[in-house]
Amino acid sequence: MNQLNVAVIIKLEPDFSEGNVSYNPDGTLNRADTKNTLGPHSAIAANAAFYAKVKYDAKVSVATMGPPIAETALQMAQKLSDAEELHLYSDRIFAGADTLATAETLKTGIQKMQGKMDIVFSGHRASDGETGQTGPQTAWKLGYPFFGNVLNYEVNVQNKTIRIKRLVSLQGFNDVIEEVEAPLPVFLSVDPSYKSLFNTVSQRISYEKYQKQAKIRSENYKQYLMVFNLQQLGVDPTLVGLPGSPTIVFRVERIPKGKANRQAEVLDSSNPEHIRKAIAKINEALSAMVIK
Amino acid sequence: MEKYDVAIIGGGSAGLAALKQLSNHKKQAVLLEAGNKIGSKNISGGILYSKKLKNGHVHNVEDVYGDIFLREAPVERKIKKYILHATSKDKIYSMDLTAAHEYESNFGYSVLMTKLNSWFAEQAAESAQKFGGGIIPGVHVSSLEWNKKTNTTIVTTDELEEFEVRAIIAADGVNSEIAQISSIPKFTPQQLYQGVKVVVKLPEDIINERFEVESNEGAAHLFAGDVTINHIGGGFLYTNSSTLSVGAVYHFDSLLENPTEPYTLVDSMLRNPMISEFIKDQVPSRRKIDKSLPQEEQLRIRFAITKLLKTWNELRDASLSKGGREELLKSGKYNSEKAINERLSSIQEQLTEKYGVGFVTDYVEVEYGAKLIPDGKRCRMVKPYHKNILFVGDAAGRGIFIGPRIEGLNVGIDDAVRAADAVTRALDRNNFTSNYFGEYYSQSVANSPYTRDMKRIDKDYLKIFLDAAKDIPKDIISAKYGTIIKLMSSDTFRSVAVKLANILGYERLLPIVESEDTFVKVPIEVAKRLGEKVTATYVPSIPSIDDRVAKLKFDDDNTSHIKVLKPQSEFMKKMVTLCPTKCYSLENEQVVLQHEGCIECGTCSHETDWKHPRGEKGIVYEYG
Repeated sequence: MNQLNVAVIIKLEPDFSEGNVSYNPDGTLNRADTKNTLGPHSAIAANAAFYAKVKYDAKVSVATMGPPIAETALQMAQKLSDAEELHLYSDRIFAGADTLATAETLKTGIQKMQGKMDIVFSGHRASDGETGQTGPQTAWKLGYPFFGNVLNYEVNVQNKTIRIKRLVSLQGFNDVIEEVEAPLPVFLSVDPSYKSLFNTVSQRISYEKYQKQAKIRSENYKQYLMVFNLQQLGVDPTLVGLPGSPTIVFRVERIPKGKANRQAEVLDSSNPEHIRKAIAKINEALSAMVIK
Repeated sequence: MEKYDVAIIGGGSAGLAALKQLSNHKKQAVLLEAGNKIGSKNISGGILYSKKLKNGHVHNVEDVYGDIFLREAPVERKIKKYILHATSKDKIYSMDLTAAHEYESNFGYSVLMTKLNSWFAEQAAESAQKFGGGIIPGVHVSSLEWNKKTNTTIVTTDELEEFEVRAIIAADGVNSEIAQISSIPKFTPQQLYQGVKVVVKLPEDIINERFEVESNEGAAHLFAGDVTINHIGGGFLYTNSSTLSVGAVYHFDSLLENPTEPYTLVDSMLRNPMISEFIKDQVPSRRKIDKSLPQEEQLRIRFAITKLLKTWNELRDASLSKGGREELLKSGKYNSEKAINERLSSIQEQLTEKYGVGFVTDYVEVEYGAKLIPDGKRCRMVKPYHKNILFVGDAAGRGIFIGPRIEGLNVGIDDAVRAADAVTRALDRNNFTSNYFGEYYSQSVANSPYTRDMKRIDKDYLKIFLDAAKDIPKDIISAKYGTIIKLMSSDTFRSVAVKLANILGYERLLPIVESEDTFVKVPIEVAKRLGEKVTATYVPSIPSIDDRVAKLKFDDDNTSHIKVLKPQSEFMKKMVTLCPTKCYSLENEQVVLQHEGCIECGTCSHETDWKHPRGEKGIVYEYG
């Protein structure tokens, strides 16, 4: 049988949920006091990889670059994806990397994984950096065709091809779902609205089975974990970390607050008169819209 | 089309027991559950019993899951005290019914359904997977198509491709849609109770001390009298590990006669001085943040307070529980219990001094819920099957509610085992004819001692009850029952009286036994005359129903699962009051439904087109 190999690149990010996040008096993030977690988009990418696990019995590998603590993110991703191989690229030299240097590290790591990867997944963006560049740059470095905003996919394991549905949004135009077919390997960046669909009883039974297996594996994640420093990874030191990063963060500015030019009117939801007023307004707005 | 041996519809404690039992027999079964997580739609009072009945054998929970149940199942506390209170304002008269609770039972544990059912599910799924089956959450069965030729059923769901099965176990609860699909009439209000419950958070050590119980042991308190606001039924308070379940259960017809909001009925419980004292705790009171500060500063303060309160809550809960303390010490963060307490008071001080957060006496309600409960005496299915579908537990209308005897979970589990055994037998012989299959199950259920208990009075149980009530002056009980009680209380005549009563039959006795007199008037009179005065040291600040609903988790569907059929009927007008989450309102004499906030209790199902929400949609209970 043709074994399908898939990899996911993930990131450990600050937990922005209330009760976990702390801010300094100047309004910046207090990193020392804020808990970390698997990034929400990374989690979606891990889910997308799990789809291949359930549906095609794929072998899943997960990779991240970060400090030693980032292994908790790998553990969380393993719980979602039932990964059998966890890679952590951790070295002081990797610190201060921008997206391009990160992509170099990740690319080298992915190439060191057992088996050649057929699909590599990334999240849409990170919740702390928000650039959305690491995925595409890793794809470029790997030489894999890149597909962004992936909504779902189906693999033809025999022919080694993939059919992808992706969301195309252009300002001023209606959203379009584009369906494309490509030969493997590919790199998929997963849209935030991605959802795996399992629509037969047998798929759902495997889903439950692998989910349980994933839970057990993630409880013993160290068994699957491999940590690489610069030397072990064998990556060119001039292409990673601060030296490999062409980006210079010149200054961080707060987003200026927009001036409100709307007028708010408080309506009482228990007052039918107010409700009628709201509906009249909605009707007014709807009739003003030109629907083509 | 995919084919499976058995489909179990509904992942409550009965459905899960059926799956586990089928796996014990090495049979393949697939369990479909509408909630996105097993247990997320289950709610119970509740106490889970294991019984040893003198008049026959029942299948107990530990028989199905094995000894691991006794070692590992996340039950709450083993109930060691069972007390009935008669209430009248601040006067309370208490009767110890522990002997009645222990009568013919191996144990009775207080339980919270979401936690316990997810444990059952883990056990059942692990076994089921070995035989090609398993549990599939988030799936709602929409129709069943019976194929006469092949003796099989095609199951259609809202979520999955159709599949074919040879037998179905319907464990989809009191509002069974499978029963509806099979054209079995809905239960009538006369056959049902409506139960409402709130879960109150209270640290373990405080529970142990307040209820005078050991760790892992608990108390059950039942209430009758004026807390019922003149309805037939009563209230309960059960101790869980670190929460309390406080609720009220009333005959649905009694509620229809005299409609009172379910939340008002549960509030009446919480306001009873004895219960107010039971639930009280130290609660932080939030200070309003100064709006004149810059917005960033307001936000920073808000986050800081939330974080401190979260830490305070977690640390306090841990420090007031045996396991929590051990864990904290083991983690190495603290070297003594003293250090934990010091840290706790320092956080508290910080909250008070720096952020002006005060600490007051109040109670913490964490979840509100409701369900209908089938009264087995009145609504158990005579033949709980239809073609190749077997009905179990609530779906078959089975529960034992006789005075202070309140059992449902164990009955459902016993049914489930009988159903699983019947399916196994039919699979082995490949014989699903109604004689060999449905009728066999029906007989097995009819022979269950539980069924017998739904039909007749047990004189030994009655004696325990009467002994506990022996101090109550006979003149309180009106002349109507004086003779009966007198007869029943005499050792010589009881057995004759019970025999006579059983000949008369439950149907004729029930209106006398379950009346306003027994649940309301007599208890009030008893409390007035014999009760002791109890005073509450504070007034609990009870959340409004809107706040309670706001706290619940829902995955709202964009289409309503309920359709109002008769917007002007008397029944529907009463739903405006009786819906536990206030989903109905009256506008221009028409009853209007707003389905957001619906907790799927089925109270309104009698005159509506009522279905469960699609898979994963609707209420997600955290405690249950």
